[in-house]
Amino acid sequence: MEHEEHRRILLIDDEVGFTKLLKMNLERQGSYLVRILNDPLIALDNIAAYRPHLIILDMVMPGVDGGELSAKIRQHPEFGEVPIIFLTALVGKKDGSENSVSQHGDRVLVAKPVDLPVLLKVIESELY
Amino acid sequence: MKQVTEAFAHHKELFKSVVDHLPVGVFCKDADDNFRFIIWNQCNADITGIPASEALGKTDFDLFPTEIAEKFRADDIRAMEENREVEIPSEDVRNDTDNRVIFHTRKVALLGPAGKRRYLLGISEDITARHVAEEKLSEANAQLRATQDQMIQLEKLESVGRLAAGVAHEVKNPLALILMGVEYLSEDISPNDENIPVIVEEMRAAVHRADKIVRGLVDFSSERQLDLQLVSVNTVLEHVLMMVRHELTKSSITVEKEFDPELPAIKVDNTKYEQVLVNLLMNAIHAMQSGPRYGRLCIRTRAGVAADQIHDDGLRTGSRLRRGEPVIITEIEDNGCGIPQEVLNSIFDPFYTTKPTGMGTGLGLTVVKKIVEIHQGQIDVRSNHSGGTTVTLTFKQAS
Repeated sequence: MEHEEHRRILLIDDEVGFTKLLKMNLERQGSYLVRILNDPLIALDNIAAYRPHLIILDMVMPGVDGGELSAKIRQHPEFGEVPIIFLTALVGKKDGSENSVSQHGDRVLVAKPVDLPVLLKVIESELY
Repeated sequence: MKQVTEAFAHHKELFKSVVDHLPVGVFCKDADDNFRFIIWNQCNADITGIPASEALGKTDFDLFPTEIAEKFRADDIRAMEENREVEIPSEDVRNDTDNRVIFHTRKVALLGPAGKRRYLLGISEDITARHVAEEKLSEANAQLRATQDQMIQLEKLESVGRLAAGVAHEVKNPLALILMGVEYLSEDISPNDENIPVIVEEMRAAVHRADKIVRGLVDFSSERQLDLQLVSVNTVLEHVLMMVRHELTKSSITVEKEFDPELPAIKVDNTKYEQVLVNLLMNAIHAMQSGPRYGRLCIRTRAGVAADQIHDDGLRTGSRLRRGEPVIITEIEDNGCGIPQEVLNSIFDPFYTTKPTGMGTGLGLTVVKKIVEIHQGQIDVRSNHSGGTTVTLTFKQAS
């Protein structure tokens, strides 16, 4: 049931179980619709079809570099402006701030394992 | 009687001739006459550079520097007193480090007419060439061992880094899943069982504890074992050029510097970074020493963006140079002998060298590449059509 007020989030990550549970958690908030994409190779087609308000993108996936994929998304004339939140499992103590969110240039990185309240806050600030 | 005298004279000549033809230096001193030389064969004349006519009737103190003559005399006395062969495995017979002559000498006392020890017989071999070769070999061995140790250290750094990154990635994903499950369950707890909130909270804490351990592992990884500091490429280049100035002057090489004065800093382990530059500069200097022209070394620095993605399928870290990423580019160009195409493919291989035996370990560029890689940098080497070689180093700009 898609309502006007629902925000569409495209979740691109090859981890099947994680994406399933993250979708449940996000949709339970009531204001998001989440589509899962476990195969990053078809990301661009999916973005065009789904027209998300926000993309959550894993940095490291087999065969695809999250950074490169985001560069392609950024260059796209139609959805280049869609905010992207990066997820990364490669964060040491030094890289992440205390609440596991860090800003690298214009990139917002959220460390895995993802702290749900933290992620929700980042989503809200990116969407509005 | 006349015949006996003639035969004796003939034998004496024959004896002298035999001694002169021996391939070792032979000398004899009379201990009762202040150790004056009474025999000095041809070979001894050849290896000392002193002809018999000058040596006979003289003592060591007449022929050699005092310090060396004193050593000879002490050995002579020892041989006379101990009544056994005294061996001096390596005797430095000149006080001149650039022009050394080293002998292996054996000395023994011979009896005089009264049956008493009187003469000192010495037999000397010139072992200078062997000695120098041995010294060179042991120097080369030490250098090889040091470079190998360094390679092993670098390999370890890199593999620890890869391992940590790999483990972090593989462990954090299941942790992320568990945490999402815990989050979901914690929203919908049955009010009838007061244990459930406790259980969910314990699970959440356990995930965070495991995450902390993995983060600690990543912190222990390669990059963090490097002593990273902000470094100005131009300043380091100037410093390194000072270090090799002697070599540059010796080979009459002119240096052209095209440094971008506004260059942003890079973050590297300075000692290792300097090592990379010294190695590359020395290679360039060696190439120009054997090249046909006057040596001209051109060093350029500039800021730019990374062009090509480095692809490594076996590596799943997100931290290599990315296309478009701001980088600092350093080019070292020489007009030396260049590198043939078939050699270019092997230059980073361990133990590959085109230098003469004893001149290079074949590990220099292997170490260089390894150091560049653990800094997530890039090195490219290309041979110019007009001869000469250009090495390009690309390092991330410090953010």
